[in-house]
Amino acid sequence: MKHIQNTEISYSELFENFRHPQSGAVVLFSGEVRDNNKGRAVTHLEYEAYEPMANKMISEILEEAKSRFKLNQAACVHRVGRVEISGCAVVVITGSGHRKEAYDANRYIIDRVKNEVPIWKHEFFADGTSEWGQNCDCISDDHHHHHNNHHYERAE
Amino acid sequence: MNRKIVYFAGLKKFFGDETSVEVAPEESYACLLEKLGELNPEAKEVLTSCRIAVNEKFVPLDETIKDQTTLFLIPPSSGG
Repeated sequence: MKHIQNTEISYSELFENFRHPQSGAVVLFSGEVRDNNKGRAVTHLEYEAYEPMANKMISEILEEAKSRFKLNQAACVHRVGRVEISGCAVVVITGSGHRKEAYDANRYIIDRVKNEVPIWKHEFFADGTSEWGQNCDCISDDHHHHHNNHHYERAE
Repeated sequence: MNRKIVYFAGLKKFFGDETSVEVAPEESYACLLEKLGELNPEAKEVLTSCRIAVNEKFVPLDETIKDQTTLFLIPPSSGG
């Protein structure tokens, strides 16, 4: 499956194709573009990825989540290119026999995708400036710190 | 020996899409990052949090650069 795409993500379609006779719980997370970030008005985002590697890493994360949480299915698709306000930037769907595993696995997948996979967000603001994003809010103790806690400051 | 380096996201502002950099024998990936920081001091902070990928795999930065292939400089992820 291709996990990186430069066209609109149809999560309803992905969701429809996600039925599994052994799944009593299916969880869908959609990461969407907010019109503000840290008090600044955002007009749109543009995502860039090192695609072959991002695709491979998402595949591996999904496989790991499937065995770790005993999922019946797991899917993740991330956008590259321009995404408008309220557009879907990333979707994660997980299905398992009962809800706990589907919820836990969904969170596990999105956290790892955000922290580890070579995908970058370029935020465009209403004042005409732009800046490359950094994800790590360092609120949770258990996230993967692959960047040694050095934060990627404003590039503009 | 010259090696091709490919840059992503915010790094492009400092280095463009790709550059060619002279790599000394026995030089480590960490050394290379330091050298790039000297070439462009404004990029130093970002470079300290970068990973390097070779053949679509992250390499330990303290290792000696040995492959002949392109190096991909990976700034901290900000997907989602």
